[in-house]
Amino acid sequence: MSRPAHRKPGYHKTNKDLFVLTYGALVAQLCKDYEKDEDVNKYLDEMGYGVGTRLVEDFLARSCVRRCHSYSEIVNIIAQVAFKMYLGITPNVTCNNSSRNEFSLILDKNPLVEFVEELPTGRSSLCYCNLLCGIIRGALEMVHLAADVTFLQDRLKGDSVTEIGIKFLKKLDKKNIGRKNEK
Amino acid sequence: MSRQSNRGTESKKMSSELFTLTYGALVTQLCKDYENDEDVNKQLDKMGYNIGVRLIEDFLARSNVGRCHDFRETADVIAKVAFKMYLGITPSITNWSPAGDEFSLILENNPLVDFVELPDNHSSLIYSNLLCGVLRGALEMVQMAVEAKFVQDTLKGDSVTEIRMRFIRRIEDNLPAGEE
Repeated sequence: MSRPAHRKPGYHKTNKDLFVLTYGALVAQLCKDYEKDEDVNKYLDEMGYGVGTRLVEDFLARSCVRRCHSYSEIVNIIAQVAFKMYLGITPNVTCNNSSRNEFSLILDKNPLVEFVEELPTGRSSLCYCNLLCGIIRGALEMVHLAADVTFLQDRLKGDSVTEIGIKFLKKLDKKNIGRKNEK
Repeated sequence: MSRQSNRGTESKKMSSELFTLTYGALVTQLCKDYENDEDVNKQLDKMGYNIGVRLIEDFLARSNVGRCHDFRETADVIAKVAFKMYLGITPSITNWSPAGDEFSLILENNPLVDFVELPDNHSSLIYSNLLCGVLRGALEMVQMAVEAKFVQDTLKGDSVTEIRMRFIRRIEDNLPAGEE
């Protein structure tokens, strides 16, 4: 149903509780549709991918970020600019390997779960916020960066923090960031 | 799954595009699940109702509005405070009925439809119908039974989007709102 985004005058910065509750309605609907948590997680990720491929255009227009020269710059922008803009939080960034292509975003607060006390019975493998992983993956793909994005820890599952892992799949070639990859 | 909201220290504001796109994903999923537009519209209204009965508490806490003395005050609060807070727009209020029990909210911009065109096979879809449910659920929690419905929609080629609000009756009993 979507058409290309075009910039409307007037910039909407709004209270996020209506969004948070609508997100809950989306997850609840998918839980009605799919018996298995893996399927709900998959569809949340796919939907997120679709959202991310469109959201990135809005993000680049609003944030005026300059070209990045490393994966860690990119992840810092995701954490400090994108998360701030769209969710009002700034996750911490850690780098998980010496090749510097695997990172984590540590979410101390997660507004999407503000009204969620615990996962429903029988839904212990649900990645409630999996839309976010798809969004990051879709957005990165639109700037020609392939990445695996998954939840590594989740407070809703009893972990002490919520952690999103981002693993860039191609060895970094500085010339190719933002350009179509040669096949 | 829900509990009372817990105020953290993060910013309470967000850019609305993420909400707009997520809402679109929700409507798309419902269109896959239900064969006809009327069922999607009904489901959106029901979801909106359940959201409204929770959102009102947050709204009253944040906005510090006092009790409204009549439906006109209620209309002002809905348009100038609630819509502003959650959607960043201020609809205008028009077309009051002589009895003062019906009015229209005219939305010149509707952020929910920023990226949207209705496909031909969904001409009866009331895309933003969640909002009608939210209004209905929220007002029920402050003892007002109302009807809210879209009577014009820019997605359908109308020049504005218009939500018609009708006051049905005051709810005297303080029974907890059940989920529909």
